[in-house]
Amino acid sequence: MKVYVNDTPVNILPGMTVKHALIHAGLLKDIESSKKVYDEWGNEIGLDGALSEGLKIYVK
Amino acid sequence: MKNLNSVICFIFLFILSLSPVHAEQCEIRILHINDFHGFAEPYNPFGSDEMLGGIAYLTARMNALLNEKPSLLLSAGDMIQGNNWANLSQGESVIELMNTMKFDAMVVGNHEFDFGQDVLKKRISEAKFPVLGANVEGLDMLEPFMIKDINGIKVAVIGIVTEDTPVSTHPRNVSGLKFFSSESTAKKYVTELKNKADIIIILSHIGHHADRILAERVRGIDVIVGGHSHTKVEKPVRVGNTIIVQAWEHAKALGVLDLTVKDGKITKFNGYLEEIKPETGKEDNVVLAIVEKYKQKVDAVLNEKVGDADVDLDGENVRRKETNLGNLITDVMRYASGADIAIINGGTIRTSIKKGEVKVKNVYSVLPFDNYIVAIKLTGKQIKKALEHGVSAIEEGAGRFPQVSGLSFKYKRSAKTGEKVNEILIANKPIDPDKEYIVATNDFLAAGGDGYEAFGEAIKASGDFSIIGGVMKGEKVVYSDSGRWLRDVVIEYIKEKKRIDPTVEGRITEIQ
Repeated sequence: MKVYVNDTPVNILPGMTVKHALIHAGLLKDIESSKKVYDEWGNEIGLDGALSEGLKIYVK
Repeated sequence: MKNLNSVICFIFLFILSLSPVHAEQCEIRILHINDFHGFAEPYNPFGSDEMLGGIAYLTARMNALLNEKPSLLLSAGDMIQGNNWANLSQGESVIELMNTMKFDAMVVGNHEFDFGQDVLKKRISEAKFPVLGANVEGLDMLEPFMIKDINGIKVAVIGIVTEDTPVSTHPRNVSGLKFFSSESTAKKYVTELKNKADIIIILSHIGHHADRILAERVRGIDVIVGGHSHTKVEKPVRVGNTIIVQAWEHAKALGVLDLTVKDGKITKFNGYLEEIKPETGKEDNVVLAIVEKYKQKVDAVLNEKVGDADVDLDGENVRRKETNLGNLITDVMRYASGADIAIINGGTIRTSIKKGEVKVKNVYSVLPFDNYIVAIKLTGKQIKKALEHGVSAIEEGAGRFPQVSGLSFKYKRSAKTGEKVNEILIANKPIDPDKEYIVATNDFLAAGGDGYEAFGEAIKASGDFSIIGGVMKGEKVVYSDSGRWLRDVVIEYIKEKKRIDPTVEGRITEIQ
């Protein structure tokens, strides 16, 4: 399954979550420094949130 | 002619005035949570200093809101699995909680299947509210919908769970079940219920993205109360004529949606999330007592003996050499997944266990992270690449140092990067660079954690995934059990064996 983290494509397994996409993108540590994850509509999402094909998420 | 029109108009208005139901407008409230995952107590979310959540605080707020107007209390799934508070009673604690809170309905979430169908059936039988799953075939205890009269308004609630459920739990948990498309299921039941109810709600566990698509494609849905993506929808979203809401996760928010209904139509809506924080004196004491009761049970379970270790289990040296605890854990992973070999990062293992009684809490301390087992096909060349990466930062004490099962190798620290590892044997035969082997690992490494790129390459090469007979089939991925933490698999193994005495066998040898 391909999702986009800060517009960079990331391949993860179906069933994997936001956390896994951030691990893949090397951005999980950014969350420790108070950054948050948002979906493409600007909603905050939890690290255990399910992803779907082609979804764009942003760390900011 | 003008006079005739006036008479017709008068008669029409007179008839309308005789119908009080149509003349009145009603207000109803929908309260909702999703993806609770057993987080009964307040906690510090990753990266936050602030304590959030706490089901006793949420309940107190919920009760206040319920008293203000006629309401419906809904859960959009993934309630019974996740946190130890839920896991160690296989979700019994959560159902007791939900019964006390007087939920009107919940949709089954993908993680509700994680303890197996027998446990799920038991939980459904304990629930004093319907558990919905309109697109699931094979589990008769799930109801497709329910209709409830709220303040004279007939509200239909249809439950829909993600079609991806079979890829996010162990295949045996969904054996014999079929998960149908959200869209076709919603169309079928909306058509069936449109003349039987004033308001149609989809209680969805398919994620916010899919909720939006569903609203675009299926007419006649008034409200989607969502879950699965853990999305904090602070204000309701309107897609076409459908209102979409979702209340984040882990009881950190309570969703509130107020609807004004007239002539069977929503004429006005207002929604928001109430963030939940622990504040002394603002808890519901009945629910707090349930939280405390199961907390004590968790403590008792953590102190249960699972077996005996005849030797000290070394978790201290896992970042620089082969250890017997690393061997035990990787052996369990290989055994559980049926893989040829297993590789994990030493950093997964956080402490040692002394010789003697092994308790649940000892294993939880060794494996504190919520990791699960994944098995992926890697070529011999990719395995070598993974091992090279694993031994590339020993001096730094990096967590990437591998612990392995089903293979042995030698490495030379002083050799050039990419040439440190040699003499790799799998099943006592030299590794074939072009042959594919099934490699068990944890989800952290499979996602590329600790810089392990080889698994990611295999996932990328795996192409499309499909679900055949309830099992995920990908070209490279052969096993993924996200509903069972690795520590619980290790506990089951030790319980089965009763006594363990793993040794260091020369799986990893440093040469000078």
